[in-house]
Amino acid sequence: MSTPDDFLTPNAPTWCPGCGNFGMWRALRTAYSELGLPFDKLAVVWGIGCHGNGADFTKCQGFHALHGRALPVATGLHLANPELTVVVEMGDGDAFGIGLGHFAHSCRRNLDLTSITHDNQVYGLTTGQASPTTEQGVHTPSTPTGVLERPVNTVGLAIAEGATFVARGFSDDVEHLTGLMKAAITHKGFAVLDVFQPCVTWNKLNTHAWFRERVYRLEDEGWDPTDRAKAMALTLENFSEMTCTPEECRIPIGVIYQEEGRPTYADGLTQVAGPLWKQALAPRDITRALAEQS
Amino acid sequence: MQADPRGPSRRDVQVKIGGAAGFGIKAAGRTLARCFTQGGLHTFDLTEYPSLIRGGHNVYQVRVSPDEIHSHVLPVDVLVALNTETVERHHEEVVDGGAIIYDPKTTSVESVPDPKRLCIVAVPLDDIVVEAGGQRIMRNVAALGAVLGLTGYPLSFLTDSLVAQFAHKGPEIAKVNVEVATKGREFALKAACPFPVHLEPVPNALPQILVDGNEAVGLGALAAGIGMYCAYPMTPASTLLHYLAAHDHEYGVVVKHTEDEIAAMNTVIGASFAGARAMCATSGGGFSLMVEGLGLAGVSESAIVVGVFTRPGPATGLPTWTEQSDLRFVLHAAQGEFPRVVLAPGDRTDAFELTWKAFNLADQLQTPVILLGDTYLSDNRESVAPFDTAAVCVDRGKIVTDGDIATHPEALDDAGMYLRYKVTPDGLSTRALPGVTGALQVMNSYEHDEYGYGAQGEEVANRVAQNEKRLRKLDRACGLVPPPALFGADPSTAEISILCFGSTKGPVREAIGWLAREGVNVAVMQIVTIWPFPVHEVSEFMDRSKRTMVVEGNATGQLEGLIRQKCLRAPDWRINRYDGRPFSPEQIFETVREVVLGVHA
Ligand SMILES: Cc1ncc(C[n+]2csc(CCOP(=O)(O)OP(=O)(O)O)c2C)c(N)n1
Ligand code: SF4
Repeated sequence: MSTPDDFLTPNAPTWCPGCGNFGMWRALRTAYSELGLPFDKLAVVWGIGCHGNGADFTKCQGFHALHGRALPVATGLHLANPELTVVVEMGDGDAFGIGLGHFAHSCRRNLDLTSITHDNQVYGLTTGQASPTTEQGVHTPSTPTGVLERPVNTVGLAIAEGATFVARGFSDDVEHLTGLMKAAITHKGFAVLDVFQPCVTWNKLNTHAWFRERVYRLEDEGWDPTDRAKAMALTLENFSEMTCTPEECRIPIGVIYQEEGRPTYADGLTQVAGPLWKQALAPRDITRALAEQS
Repeated sequence: MQADPRGPSRRDVQVKIGGAAGFGIKAAGRTLARCFTQGGLHTFDLTEYPSLIRGGHNVYQVRVSPDEIHSHVLPVDVLVALNTETVERHHEEVVDGGAIIYDPKTTSVESVPDPKRLCIVAVPLDDIVVEAGGQRIMRNVAALGAVLGLTGYPLSFLTDSLVAQFAHKGPEIAKVNVEVATKGREFALKAACPFPVHLEPVPNALPQILVDGNEAVGLGALAAGIGMYCAYPMTPASTLLHYLAAHDHEYGVVVKHTEDEIAAMNTVIGASFAGARAMCATSGGGFSLMVEGLGLAGVSESAIVVGVFTRPGPATGLPTWTEQSDLRFVLHAAQGEFPRVVLAPGDRTDAFELTWKAFNLADQLQTPVILLGDTYLSDNRESVAPFDTAAVCVDRGKIVTDGDIATHPEALDDAGMYLRYKVTPDGLSTRALPGVTGALQVMNSYEHDEYGYGAQGEEVANRVAQNEKRLRKLDRACGLVPPPALFGADPSTAEISILCFGSTKGPVREAIGWLAREGVNVAVMQIVTIWPFPVHEVSEFMDRSKRTMVVEGNATGQLEGLIRQKCLRAPDWRINRYDGRPFSPEQIFETVREVVLGVHA
């Protein structure tokens, strides 16, 4: 049985002290070890952002891809070798800005992947500009007079587009988050886990304390995650509006929606079984295809 | 009508079928070509169509000859006009003594000013079909019957093909088709035209296949063991997506029409990481979206094959026409410097061979390999000898697919840690697939160290070592890539030497045959591997030539510029074409004659 420390590399984390990424990293390594995932069969694909630096700190088969393009890389990796466990880590800019199209399409494909978003509601690595999940009205270097548009309803989008596991976590609640990560990874189908990850350097609004006052665990209130319409309705509540008080704005964390048994994208690929590298051990016999051309 | 360089003793016939989009012209043209190749003749097709699904003017040409041919030609010997517009647009292309086949009920030939120079054959296509109790689309069959009647070619090749084609629909449909074809032929015979060329099957001819460029690429990819193909539809690459999708179950390939070209490229990179042979293809617009991913493949040392099939740009450009204007684009696409290989097939046989070789090169060099084609190659079928599948080999390079990395000490550091990006003399590191026991790694879009970690990537010594390591792979490539191909005379005895790349090869080869008959010997070098550029071969070829000419389908002389830059030599002449149409052999023939003999057309 491995321990969370078995997923460490020689590189020490470079995140700012107090960054929410530490909690997520801890929870993920704990989840990997508790699930008994061998690190050479665990593939993790990162986008570009502060979160992506986890590629240096996490022992696995990693791919530190392009900004916004982690999902397509993970899709190719997963479909080319369905025997690997594939986890995708993205920033909110990655997943819901530049890569939003890939996110929406990945949901509707129900790929057997785990999509974990480090949602700090800001662009961390590029020094604090507004992100697609920054709340309306917030002042940032790219929006000095306040963000004019609404934030992306990340979990609502995932449900609408067909993800079969949709959850939210909070990086300070490591134990709860670990459970969510394990559930997301073991879920068969596209699992979306959007994690509130306070950025202590650039986001002075959505801080650790701000979330602590507001989050509550859905399961504590007997939430039934199998009702898609109810789940959708929950995501439409404005539970994180900047002006509202903790009493007015309670923010649910936990599994919002889960549907089991729906076929995954790979289930539809009946023409292949096992890793695709086995298709290229020797030249294929194309006699039949050539005969079509006569 | 210009003088026909094929000469009075020509043995070939070019048939042009024209009508509105939706008339089934492409299917008819392909059936006609099949009739001829089944009889041992050679064919070359040319399809031209606007970017419309219905209503636009479409033409499909089939050139047929008992001799080997390499391209279309300009003159038309038989024009099958399925509407009046076809007559109006194309009657001038018909040679003296040539024929126009038309249905007087639907089509007018009034626009032909000098009908006496032609044989105008009225075939009541619609009535024939109605009498036989067939559907309107079958008038193409009647027209094909008339073409065979006119050229004296046995109808059995058409009727056999129809019977085979419609066998699954029941004997009745096949019977009606045969009846319609027979009637069409009878009308042509009744016209008793003195058609100048008689086509006959060649006994004991070698077998041939009929393929277009995209089918050839698809076949090459299948033979090479492709595991995943991703694309977003874009003319002229879309038919490759269709081809591979139609064969995915038979051959066990994952074919994905992704949400965009960015996804196509990045998905292919992910599949390559897992060890699949993976490819994406598109035209210039889609490739623009793939460019950042191309750089990712370069820095992460991913083995991928990318097809870029050029149509005239910029932006949406001329979607269904041809050009060779993306040469510089594919050479320089993506920020930073990394090794890439660019291969430019000139015909369908090249397309098959270079595609399977591209997969080997990508694996051997762990870097992107680009297949640079164009619409003229992608869309048009040619009859060729069946592809040499016995020559296909699979070389996956320095790869560990399974087992334990501990059994590959050359890939490990002193502590037994796997070095994905180990610095080696030839720049190649051992690639362990994810899943190999103990082989921990990070493929990285950031500059990275030998383990793949980005944290130490910025160190000066490391950056230089990794950058140089990757670029050394290009030196390695020089010994692996296909050399330029030579045709025609030896440059030292030739009046002129032509340098070209890609599909221009066909019209150039056709033209030099005609020129040789006029006593003008021409040497041709087709630059097959564009990158790494064959500096030595090109320089030597130019040095041995009396004069040199670059023939390329773009306005700015992209190949010419490359020759000047890499070989420090200046070609003497150039022919550029950028009107969306392919080079015709006539254009090359006339220009060379003008240059060499001072003869003006
Ligand atoms: C194509 C492209 N555009 C812009 C960038 C610059 N860039 C790097 S990270 C980033 C945004 C980071 O925000 P997020 O995805 O939320 O990640 P975080 O840093 O907050 O973890 C941007 C814009 C890039 N790397 N690539
Ligand atoms: S900038 Fe923000 S997100 Fe990035 S490491 Fe620092 S605290 Fe974390």
